[in-house]
Amino acid sequence: MSLWSIAWRYLWNRKLTTALTILSVALGVGMISAVLTLREETQRRFEEEGQAFDIVVGSKGNPLQLVLSTVYFMDAPTGNMDYSIFESLKEHEDVTHAFPIAMGDSYKGYRIVGSSPELMDFAPGGRSPYTLAEGRYFEKSQEAVLGAQVARDSGLKIGDTFVGTHGLVQSAFAEVHDDFPYTVVGILNLSGSPNDRAIFCDIQSVWDVHSHCDADHDHDHEHGHDHDHPEVTAVLVKLASPALRFEFKDHINKRSNAMAAIPIMEIQKLYEQLLGTAKLVLLAIGYLVVAISSLSILIGLYMAILQRRRDLAIMRALGATRGEIFGAVIIEAFWVTLLGIIAGWFMGAVTCAVLNHFLVTRIGFHVPAIHMTADLVSAYSAVMLMGLIAGILPAWQAYRSDVARDLSEL
Amino acid sequence: MVLLEQVSRRLGPGVLFSCEKFHALPGSRTALWGPSGCGKSTMLNLITGLLRPDSGTIRIDNEDITPLSESRMDAFRGERMGFVFQTFNLLPPFSALQNVLLGMRFSDAIPEKEWKDQALTMLERVGLERRLQSKPGTLSVGERQRVAIARALVNKPRLIVADEPTGSLDPKTATSVMSLLLELCEEEKVTLLLVTHDRGIAEQLPDLFDCTGLAREDES
Repeated sequence: MSLWSIAWRYLWNRKLTTALTILSVALGVGMISAVLTLREETQRRFEEEGQAFDIVVGSKGNPLQLVLSTVYFMDAPTGNMDYSIFESLKEHEDVTHAFPIAMGDSYKGYRIVGSSPELMDFAPGGRSPYTLAEGRYFEKSQEAVLGAQVARDSGLKIGDTFVGTHGLVQSAFAEVHDDFPYTVVGILNLSGSPNDRAIFCDIQSVWDVHSHCDADHDHDHEHGHDHDHPEVTAVLVKLASPALRFEFKDHINKRSNAMAAIPIMEIQKLYEQLLGTAKLVLLAIGYLVVAISSLSILIGLYMAILQRRRDLAIMRALGATRGEIFGAVIIEAFWVTLLGIIAGWFMGAVTCAVLNHFLVTRIGFHVPAIHMTADLVSAYSAVMLMGLIAGILPAWQAYRSDVARDLSEL
Repeated sequence: MVLLEQVSRRLGPGVLFSCEKFHALPGSRTALWGPSGCGKSTMLNLITGLLRPDSGTIRIDNEDITPLSESRMDAFRGERMGFVFQTFNLLPPFSALQNVLLGMRFSDAIPEKEWKDQALTMLERVGLERRLQSKPGTLSVGERQRVAIARALVNKPRLIVADEPTGSLDPKTATSVMSLLLELCEEEKVTLLLVTHDRGIAEQLPDLFDCTGLAREDES
């Protein structure tokens, strides 16, 4: 019979107290697990998207806004710029791929993104983010390919038609482009990327809709449309080598009226500045919960040791050393903390699953089930250390007990 | 063999335990008799090393235990001594069999591979072969004391110390438990020191040591 099984039997002997202590540890561990996993996975997915293109070129403004609006479809574009910029970029010797992007309309809150048909064939690293679930890619104006989430939420099927509304957010007062219906020709596979929330069409469609629109209204002020000289919202650029990013960015920023941004850099800055702080706050709360849990381990074990003074004295009388008694109590703290970590891991997994559902609906990002990472291993080790430290005081109490007194008094 | 010579121990403000000489031969069965507070339990604690004397010599099996380190004393106690208490002192989370196994867990007296056989044999000898998996709470008081006797003897100790072993038992059960304890000590040729305040019980043993006055007010 090992000290491990002796400690286990004592924990089992006070099931309710043990279960409550384990639960309190699990709450903290669950929170830490969820925060770390969500942070790592969302950052990884954001960065994956950001890596697809080396450079985004748009009109001058906030580079993060440019990246968020054109790569992640999450923010308002910085404005429009002349189509000639796209043409000159396309001809640049360092550019292997350049895709024009034009935005301005939406359908039920989902952006209509105009680009060249070549965008659909773009497969960075051999993986295409635009694989078809059904139908085909757009080939001419007013043909649309729906992101998976758009298709699911709108109920649109191949052959259905819809009309866009002016602006990128859903509004009852938005102008509806009734004269320019789109026909659904394809639906993309669910990719867990922002593409799930976008409607892709030929850039000519966007120009056609706004050409007509501008005949009735003057939107030039708002969107900068000038149809004698077509405009684009941004250009997505893939360079011959990622090493050229900084040089190319500086080149654009210094020598043109446009602004270049490196998506991956902007996203990392966003994480450091904003989400990094949020992560720290959530982690701090998680560790605070674990600290409180450690206190409950300490109190639980301390009370148990007080109640078990006689049992410990009997073990001493049977020949157990002070070290063995100390070890048995520390092992109890170990069991409680270990079970708390395991239970917390499951709670974190459930939390991730729930939050995953939320993130998919909200921003189109899938977060896979919780899995072990170096950060999580470090966090669990820290929790285990706190649990063991919490066991030291009760273990010390047991260590220094007076056997003769405990046997005679109790 | 148990030998105490010139042993003294201060027990608190103004109270001193003092024993000029006590001698128990190997295999003897001695009652340490006296009224409550006379110092008989203190004497037992000194013999088992749970208390250390301020002065004097205590020899068990010809080994002077007074200079032993605490860890060495723990090991010595585990290997050579068995305890039987008034309130049985079985560990509640463990079954009868596990309580007896625990008697071997903290000593090196019996090789681990023999633990289970040894425990089963001892429980059979005290008549509890049908209650192996019973927890102490489900055993009668007599059965609990039998488990305690099995646990005390399972290591084949040289010395059994029994502190009021029948103090919590009804007369009929007490008689039966006393007979069992004496019989097993006789069979195993173990030295028995039995603390009791009951003169009748004390007189059941061949030797009697009067503990009256061992603990007294310090006159110095």
